[in-house]
Amino acid sequence: MPEPGFDYESCLIACARGDQQALRDLYEQESPRLLGVARRIARDNVLAEDIVHDAFIRIWTRAASFNPARGSARGWIFSVTRHLALNFMRNGAREVQVSEQSETALHASASMEASLETAQTFDYHGHSGRIYTCLEQLEPAQRTCILHAYVDGYSHAQIAQKLGTPLGTVKAWIKRSLVALRECMG
Amino acid sequence: MTETPQDESPDDIDALASEYVLGTLQAEQRIEVQKRLAQDTELRSAVDAWEQRLYPLTELVEAQSPTPRLWERIERSVNSIERQAPRATAAAQPNSWWNRLALWRGLAATGLVASLLLATALLTQTAQMKPITYLVVLVAPQNQTPGWVIQASSPREIQLIPLGGTQVPADKALEFWTKADDWQGPVSLGLVTPGQTLSVPLDKLPPLEPNQLFELTLESPTGSKTGKPTGPVQFIGRAVKVI
Repeated sequence: MPEPGFDYESCLIACARGDQQALRDLYEQESPRLLGVARRIARDNVLAEDIVHDAFIRIWTRAASFNPARGSARGWIFSVTRHLALNFMRNGAREVQVSEQSETALHASASMEASLETAQTFDYHGHSGRIYTCLEQLEPAQRTCILHAYVDGYSHAQIAQKLGTPLGTVKAWIKRSLVALRECMG
Repeated sequence: MTETPQDESPDDIDALASEYVLGTLQAEQRIEVQKRLAQDTELRSAVDAWEQRLYPLTELVEAQSPTPRLWERIERSVNSIERQAPRATAAAQPNSWWNRLALWRGLAATGLVASLLLATALLTQTAQMKPITYLVVLVAPQNQTPGWVIQASSPREIQLIPLGGTQVPADKALEFWTKADDWQGPVSLGLVTPGQTLSVPLDKLPPLEPNQLFELTLESPTGSKTGKPTGPVQFIGRAVKVI
């Protein structure tokens, strides 16, 4: 949840000006939640810190490209972090030939296996907001697909494995759920 | 096959944007979308809207305290970026590139032609506040004709920008490679479409280093089968740090 008194947008403007204290303020404010998001997708503490490091560097170097007309400042720093984590997971799966990096990727996929067994369930009750109302209207299995994808960063194949559902079904469910969410949310 | 933008209906664009934000696109499709976002305003608006729709779901994740080491690393990286490419202040911005003597000296030392410098400076100007930390000019090995420029505004992403048309035989493709001095072998950064800018996230590689080698080779249409460059080098260059 965004802290009511914290001005994310001013922080980004200050970062674009080169004010390092503003970056520090953003870090104090959001690093635990950003690390939580990265950790959930990367499933590895060290990797998650690498991702949040890269995210803050990107926030620093690209703060000037943030445009409040396109969305909230807090939303922007979360998307930067999530997409770095997703890029890493998707590219890592292609087994890059850099020895050190391959080890990391192998390690990540090993911990992936473990976490697929024990993946956390989603306690989305008690959250208010349009997205939660609209999720409520999806079939439970379809809702789970959406949450595994967004929150856990699972691929179609990983969701299919996790739910024991054919890959084609998972793909179709997700497509349909996204259309339904779009209609519900406007 | 991915559809070309011309074949796409607004619903197709929205579907692509939604799966990109949800995270279910594969690596190649993600890179493709990230490339398009720079120019494609329709796709960008759709992505922005989906980011806003889904972002409240980040609340579902438990926060985790970082180790004290993390901020120290960020601070070190920020300081090193600022040392390499101090940002232009608002007042100095319009002519900051022309005043950066160290940049000119560094580039002149690589023996580039003046027109190329101008092209690079212009490209950089349009990139506005992104400080460039590395530049690479890729030249044809036979006659040193410059064909492509690589700019890196963050150690984590590079852009490969064409300076002109590149002829590629119909049954071949251009593949992009990099190798730093102490790596065992080159690593593929993917296939390149002649005449088009390519953005490559380097998340999976170590940070860029001075003198890092970049090259484009001719390979089979789906890329080198061995994972290493096999065809003739078409363009080659090394990274120069912009101080």
